[in-house]
Amino acid sequence: MTAKQTDKENNEKTKRKELKALGFIIVVLFPILSVFAIGGYGLIIWLMQVFGGASPH
Amino acid sequence: MKWLINLWQTLNKPAKYLTLGSISLTAFVMGIIFWGGFNTALQATNTEEFCISCHSMESKPYQELQKTVHWSNHSGVRATCPDCHVPHSWGRKIARKMEASSDVWGWFFQTVNTSEKFESKRLEMATREWGRFDRDDSLACKNCHNYDSMKWEDMSKLAQKQMKRAAEKDQSCVDCHKGIAHTLPDMGTARAPELIAEVGTGPSKFNDGQTYFTALTKPLFFSAKGDVEAGTLNVATKVNVLESKGSRVKVAIKGWRKKIGAGRVIYFDFGINMLTAQLSKEAVKTEGVIKGFEEKEDDMTGLKWQRVETELWTDAEYLITEQQPLWDYARDTFRTSCSVCHTQPDEAHFDANTWPGMFQGMIAFVNMDQDTQALVQKYLQQHSSTFVKKEH
Repeated sequence: MTAKQTDKENNEKTKRKELKALGFIIVVLFPILSVFAIGGYGLIIWLMQVFGGASPH
Repeated sequence: MKWLINLWQTLNKPAKYLTLGSISLTAFVMGIIFWGGFNTALQATNTEEFCISCHSMESKPYQELQKTVHWSNHSGVRATCPDCHVPHSWGRKIARKMEASSDVWGWFFQTVNTSEKFESKRLEMATREWGRFDRDDSLACKNCHNYDSMKWEDMSKLAQKQMKRAAEKDQSCVDCHKGIAHTLPDMGTARAPELIAEVGTGPSKFNDGQTYFTALTKPLFFSAKGDVEAGTLNVATKVNVLESKGSRVKVAIKGWRKKIGAGRVIYFDFGINMLTAQLSKEAVKTEGVIKGFEEKEDDMTGLKWQRVETELWTDAEYLITEQQPLWDYARDTFRTSCSVCHTQPDEAHFDANTWPGMFQGMIAFVNMDQDTQALVQKYLQQHSSTFVKKEH
């Protein structure tokens, strides 16, 4: 009885952890990383234009 | 730190309770929301309303635009801020957005929030915009304007000639068409920042008896301390430093003047209209300032010339030891500014007395501050057929 209960509690814990992790990644981490990646891409093009003259479209 | 390790532990093994379906569905939906949101934000920052939501953009560039053909015209097409200032292709647009981060900086620290601050920075800001148009051959203009769609027969003969030449080279539009949407910066009063960056402000200590050259047009004074101006010393003029006192140096100026009127202008040599210095009326009248020597008559004009020498004071700055950097800068400026609209003539194509008229006739078409103008004119005279013998 007690062993089953701890099992259930553990399951609940893991479920919450997984949901939290998914939420964090999807709502916070990946959007931020994407914005940084796009920003970095833009920065590279800009610097290439400033120092290299011509640039890819 | 603990939560990070926990997070990693959760992420590092297969999900136990969340199904693959729910994970991929949420990821897919969030991807759409993110991308949609990103592009909406990109779009929103690419509108006129967004640009002029800053006071400095609304009060100056936006008001100026309303006086131009890009605001209203007989075909009813209007160019808004992003049409010209933000490239349309995605990659370049993102690059421009990054570049615009300095605008956010300026907004935050209020670098152009008043009319005075804006005007003092106008040249710098315009130069930056021209730089981008230069880099991409005026791509922003060419999103609407196209050399191939131009109706040549409706143009004047001169316009046709110039435009066809530009079309051949697919020339950048702002090479000639500057100041068409906003007021031009005042180029006439700025003191040649690019020239000084190139040649420097000169040494901090001067050797008596050594020869120096002026890097700008400089005021001349009667004494080492006084404020009374005795005239101006032209750019790229050779002077001999006689002595230093405080922040001034005494220089010896040699040349020739015409024996007409007060004879206030000192020229480079007999019969050559190349400016060395212009003295004030007081300076000419004051006994002993100008020392006159032998006189000669110019057969071409019938004018009498007199060799003169004068010793006056000037600020101990913008006097450089070599003349060549000045000529190098002038040559580059002459080549780039003049070849924009036509093939520039060879320096030795005209003589020293013909160049000023030629040059002054063209100067309205280019943006050149007064010091640079004077320097380029002198460069042309100094390298004209008068001094450089060349077969034509």
